[in-house]
Amino acid sequence: MKKIIYSLFLLSIISSCEVIEGPYMTGNGGGVDTNSSQYVKNILIEDFTGHLCQNCPDAARELEAIHDLYGSQIIGLALHVGSTFARPYPLSQPKFTYDFRTKWGEELDGFFNISDAGLPKGMINRIDYPGDHRKNKGQWLASVQQELDKEVVFGLNINSSFDGNNSIIDISTDALKDISGDYKLVVCLTENEITNWQKDGVIEDENYIHNHVLRSLITSAWGDDVSLSTNISNGESYTHNYSVNLADLENFNIDYSNNTLFQGNGESGGWNQNNISILAYIYDNSNYEILQVEYASLATN
Amino acid sequence: MKNISLGFILFFLSINIFAQNNGEIHGDFDLNMQSYIEDATINAVAADEIIRNNSFLNIIFTKNNFSAGLRYESYLNALLDYDDDFKGNGIPYRFATYSIEGLEVTAGNFYEQFGSGLIFRSYEEKGLGIDNAMDGIRLKYKLLKGISLKTFIGKSRTYFTYADGIFRGIDGEIDLNETLELQSKTRYIFGGSFISRYQQRNNPVFELPQNVGLYAGRLNIINGGWNYYGEYAYKINDPVNSIQEDAVNYASGNAFTSSLTFSKRGFGITGEIHRADNMLLLSDRDRIGKAYIMNYIPTLSKPHAYTLLALYPCATQAMGELGVQLDIFYKIKKGSLLGGKYGTKLNLNFSRINGLNNGNSFKNDLTNHEPILISFKGEELYFADINLEVNKKVNKRIRYNFVIANQTYNKDFLEGKTPGEYGVINSTIGVLDLSYKIKKGHTLRMEVQTLIAKQLETASKKEEGDWVMALAEYTISPNWFFTIQDMYNYGNDDESKRLHYININFGFLKGANRFSIGYGKKREGIFCVGGVCKLVPSSNGLNLNITSSF
Repeated sequence: MKKIIYSLFLLSIISSCEVIEGPYMTGNGGGVDTNSSQYVKNILIEDFTGHLCQNCPDAARELEAIHDLYGSQIIGLALHVGSTFARPYPLSQPKFTYDFRTKWGEELDGFFNISDAGLPKGMINRIDYPGDHRKNKGQWLASVQQELDKEVVFGLNINSSFDGNNSIIDISTDALKDISGDYKLVVCLTENEITNWQKDGVIEDENYIHNHVLRSLITSAWGDDVSLSTNISNGESYTHNYSVNLADLENFNIDYSNNTLFQGNGESGGWNQNNISILAYIYDNSNYEILQVEYASLATN
Repeated sequence: MKNISLGFILFFLSINIFAQNNGEIHGDFDLNMQSYIEDATINAVAADEIIRNNSFLNIIFTKNNFSAGLRYESYLNALLDYDDDFKGNGIPYRFATYSIEGLEVTAGNFYEQFGSGLIFRSYEEKGLGIDNAMDGIRLKYKLLKGISLKTFIGKSRTYFTYADGIFRGIDGEIDLNETLELQSKTRYIFGGSFISRYQQRNNPVFELPQNVGLYAGRLNIINGGWNYYGEYAYKINDPVNSIQEDAVNYASGNAFTSSLTFSKRGFGITGEIHRADNMLLLSDRDRIGKAYIMNYIPTLSKPHAYTLLALYPCATQAMGELGVQLDIFYKIKKGSLLGGKYGTKLNLNFSRINGLNNGNSFKNDLTNHEPILISFKGEELYFADINLEVNKKVNKRIRYNFVIANQTYNKDFLEGKTPGEYGVINSTIGVLDLSYKIKKGHTLRMEVQTLIAKQLETASKKEEGDWVMALAEYTISPNWFFTIQDMYNYGNDDESKRLHYININFGFLKGANRFSIGYGKKREGIFCVGGVCKLVPSSNGLNLNITSSF
């Protein structure tokens, strides 16, 4: 009897596997219900990358694929960080001379200890900090799905007026439930469609298009208080106003590259103001988790 | 996990109290402390903590057919050559096991390997910072004479947590001669195993197998001096959880290893071939990194202990490689011209590993590629090593070991560089290891090693060039040893990198305790055990090692 039971147990183990026959693509994702509220839960994928990192474009493509599937709920931010993969070649070299790095990218990289663990790595709304917050691209989809199921607690609105170099940016935060804690608002500028060198697998691609590249932070890396009070009531709204001068910000990066960054060469300019976007997010200061993120073009918003 | 651990400790204590007279407790302890100071010349960084420490203590209680044990581990913080996810203290390993009437039951943590590991290997290797111990239930049962079965269900450890996948496994082995009570001279042992990993993933675009199965069969035939071992393994489709159409791979994986040995007194020869294609099993399909690898393709190249022979080691590629090895051992008889008074041992070894034809199997809606089964010519060479070792005792005082080797190392591929960055390095290495017994209990051992390297093709970067190394070790047995060594990169193309890596080490052994203290510089490099490798960062500092057992 003991042997029979044992054999049955073995049989049950052996039957547990699944061979899938093609076609393998069975769905298109189906999208997400966006009708329930004025606001939906948006998700920030911070893609830590570098132009000398040959595996990084694969991660960028995964980000794009997730964005294509879930649409505007997925917001990407590419941070070129570290002295291994993001350092520029000297200006005497014909390629990889651009310095994509920023003061804030380096600060966040240092705090979240990302590039030390090897690139590419990403954070999905900075969940699972500390420890498991550094996620390789294979983990992104499952983490995004987990985040999409979460309740939306803040709404964000971005308004800007653009006048050449000088811009006024207004960010309003709407609490969608009674909430208490320490919440911070971070506002940054990103740039799309920068054509420049990138290692991509075995190829060195001169015409690689870098999207949502972090250019500047308008707040500090750790942001401003959403509200002066730790208790925020459902329906409460706060507006934060910022004025920026693009040329000043660009020059700041050039100086920072020249004077501070490892092997920096000052090649951080050439910004195209038409491709600049505003990215704002709110995070919970107790665990750094990003609760809401919004994104808008600076020039055409 | 904390509560479980506490429970085990209480359990232990109570056992100890009630069974003091006939139970036994044993244990071993290891402490590895290292200081890190900045040394810009070798790119060594200082540790914020100044010193870092890895320690563990194993305790095992045994009484008759019962045993239980635990391991306390402490990483405050982990040494720099460890993944920094090893952090803090804990009891990540605890188990209880008993056996009765042919059935062995284990609850808690255990290590397990099926066959040579092609489909499953749960093990620890402190040198590599790997510990993928299982946590669950394991049963072993002797079904009939010569037939043994083992099954388990569990999750595998990564650092101080457990990975997402749930593993179920079964392995059976039949020793035919025992079972059928054959009187044949030839012995046949068959084995078969199956592994399944469950990991729930809800991919909105692709249909993913939630249960991924692997199976393997093996055969061992032994006749006199002959020994054949062969194993074949297969893995069903195991795509990653991605939504990029060209990144998802639905191809199955497979691997085989086959070796034939003949040996008699004073002579042995082994020929071996193995191939792996898309045969990486992870404990979490979303993750990458050695902490998540759950199977093992045994290495084909000779494991070298001498520093310069192991400077460019071969990492086994579970995703795709084909390799062959030939190993010949011969002892020249004592009393002959070359054998001298004590005989001379010779060992010739050759191994060569290359990639698969156009890479590993790959299958999705866009592509379907399956590499040629056996193809050597024209494939990308990963590693080759031909070496001869001569081991000789000259007289009562002097013995030596001499090795000459030529290795070819595909640095770009094996270290994940861009093709054309360093290319392929060919190195010729000579080692002389000489021991001289000065008087009773006093031995002086000296090593001289040299490595002459060249890049086989034009590459954008220069590799490190030529090295020499010398070592002197003085042992006063059984208590003391003192070692000094220097590695000198005299042939580096960059003059500022023609550096000395000096290490001194001093040790004291007494009974079950061993203390050693050392100081020196470590070169950044690759360190491998059995084809599994890790990157060791350069460092400069003091180290203290204590081991003890009871």
